[in-house]
Amino acid sequence: MIWFQLQSLMGSYPLALRGLGMTIALSGISLVLGTILGFALGVLRTSGSRLLDSAIGLWVDLIRGTPFLVQIFLIFFILPELGVELDAFTAGIIALTNLAACFICEIVAAGIRSVPTGQVEAALASGLSQWQRMRQVVLPQAMRVSLPPLVGQYVLLIKDSSVVSAIGLTDLTRVGWLVVQRVPNGLLVFAIVGIGYFVVCYPLILLARRLERRMSAAHGEVQL
Amino acid sequence: MLENFSFRTIVEYLPLFGQGFAATLWLSIVSFAGALAVGIILCAMNLQRSRLLQLPAKIYIDAIRATPLLAQLYFLYFGLPRLGLVLPELVVGILALALNSGAYIAEIIRAGILSISRGQVEAGIASGMTYAQRMRLVILPQAIRVTIPPLLGQAIVLVKDSALLSLISVAELTRAGQLLASDRFMPAEGFITTAACYLVLYYGLKSLAAFSARWLGVRPIGSRT
Amino acid sequence: MIEFRGVNKWFGALHVLKDITLSVEPREVVVVCGPSGSGKSTLIRCINGLETIKDGDLVVDGQRLGDRATNMTELRTEIGFVFQAFNLYPHKTALENVTLAPIHVRKIPRGEAEASGREMLAKVGLGDKFNAYPSELSGGQQQRVAIARCLCMRPKIMLFDEPTSALDPEMISEVLDVMVGVAEEGMTMMVVTHEMGFARKVAQRVVFMDAGAVVETGTPDEFFSDPKTDRSRAFLSKILRH
Repeated sequence: MIWFQLQSLMGSYPLALRGLGMTIALSGISLVLGTILGFALGVLRTSGSRLLDSAIGLWVDLIRGTPFLVQIFLIFFILPELGVELDAFTAGIIALTNLAACFICEIVAAGIRSVPTGQVEAALASGLSQWQRMRQVVLPQAMRVSLPPLVGQYVLLIKDSSVVSAIGLTDLTRVGWLVVQRVPNGLLVFAIVGIGYFVVCYPLILLARRLERRMSAAHGEVQL
Repeated sequence: MLENFSFRTIVEYLPLFGQGFAATLWLSIVSFAGALAVGIILCAMNLQRSRLLQLPAKIYIDAIRATPLLAQLYFLYFGLPRLGLVLPELVVGILALALNSGAYIAEIIRAGILSISRGQVEAGIASGMTYAQRMRLVILPQAIRVTIPPLLGQAIVLVKDSALLSLISVAELTRAGQLLASDRFMPAEGFITTAACYLVLYYGLKSLAAFSARWLGVRPIGSRT
Repeated sequence: MIEFRGVNKWFGALHVLKDITLSVEPREVVVVCGPSGSGKSTLIRCINGLETIKDGDLVVDGQRLGDRATNMTELRTEIGFVFQAFNLYPHKTALENVTLAPIHVRKIPRGEAEASGREMLAKVGLGDKFNAYPSELSGGQQQRVAIARCLCMRPKIMLFDEPTSALDPEMISEVLDVMVGVAEEGMTMMVVTHEMGFARKVAQRVVFMDAGAVVETGTPDEFFSDPKTDRSRAFLSKILRH
């Protein structure tokens, strides 16, 4: 029985690889796009314009306040009604990129706000332009604070990519769902799916922890 | 096509959304209570000196954090019958949410306890308190204060995560949206109404978190919202 | 009351206490001074077991530390410890801070504990601050609450670990005055401090430590006017210049 199941699982090997490839492609592409967009939004949010700040803040709240599954459905089913033709893959990329951008925007904005105003004043006093102040003084310091949560966010992004299986994309989770229809051993099938995610996510979790430890060491914990 | 946005259909489906809203609310509360229990047990194990207790907790927490909730949900949904446990979808869903959030809550509580300075522990030791007395009188009262805002953050995550239960056909808020979308071919009406309902829950919990942070006089520490 | 015999301690490879032999008699006040990193804080933290010793004997109130028969938790109730950073419980008021251990450790009835708590707080000059939280008190006031917190346990010994070094200069004397009062009532005290005025006023002996070893002991007069070693002379010239 179990032997037969294992054999049957071996037959699904190419499908599983395709699923893993899809998961990595989806999260990889939206990770890059989301980071770029998120940084831009984060810088804009702290640029001093009240209007921009609250507009971005509202959008971030709308995205953070609704389940990702609902966001995917909205994009996949409603954009076509507005005349935008898109396939499931594009819809998935748009949804994931948007989600990542919103979270990364908040991380970057928090990082920028954590830089003491004295730093900006020093840069102002030495005559740096606004772009130079951002590029040379503020962002490098903000990055130190932002890096650990940023890596943590990437882990969440990879995991959230599993939700796009709901619109029929054959990612790792969808492959598990397909295989379990033929091989009725959910424990085995989804344990293997879990291992697939674990292999991708766990190194990132470890990296985030290391960065966090290094940062708290650099800041010098208060000895009481 | 959005110019045909039909408020009338939404009104027609309002009772369904009402039921979905109520279902999401109470299943989230039940799951969160379960998650608290799981989290407290895991955290207690994780803080022990004994490796035998620490290691299983650490492995569990890492395994949960490194895999998606949807895969965990399917693991239980397709896996439990294999063990002879045929449970209703709703129970499987609540179980998955509690087991998942429990791992995050364990880490939140641990961070809260570890945020209490060494000096507080030493003051307790110096006045002759036992480990249990220090925990009960000195550390936990302070840790709970810093823990409440991030716990509410985790509650927000849990409410949103509960949308995934619609994929194993639990009748909740997202399921209501799906029904409207497929019955009447009106995805816009269905999912925008669904999103609006979640936003009500989100803003409610968010202001509660902000209020509690102000009331307790603590800065919110990192959470997964 | 307190007796060190050949005590050694290491932090990893660092030899922080080197062959310490020292005894403190009942009702005696001993001031420990020395440059930072000399091991003076470690020395007094060993007495109530906040640090453990590697070898040698440390006998406190007739009980040998590290013995199976010695109940550290019980012994600690006899020893008051005042921290440099106060370590008041931030979630408790001044009165709750001073009554917490008497109620839960000494098992004194609440009413009785509160009465003696009020009395102690009044004694350290904080009769009007019973219900204040630590965050509402100045550093000097917090440290006085911390001293009252120890006194409420009716200890036989009081240890002070640099009690005034975290304070603003104008608050140092209010804390020292309280400590002088405690000393004059006949408490056995060991005080790590650089406050030479305090040492001259109440200490019977000054112990000078450097690099983990006791370099010199003497009466305050001997030590301040006629230090015997180069190291103590160098140390005194540094602290007296400021």
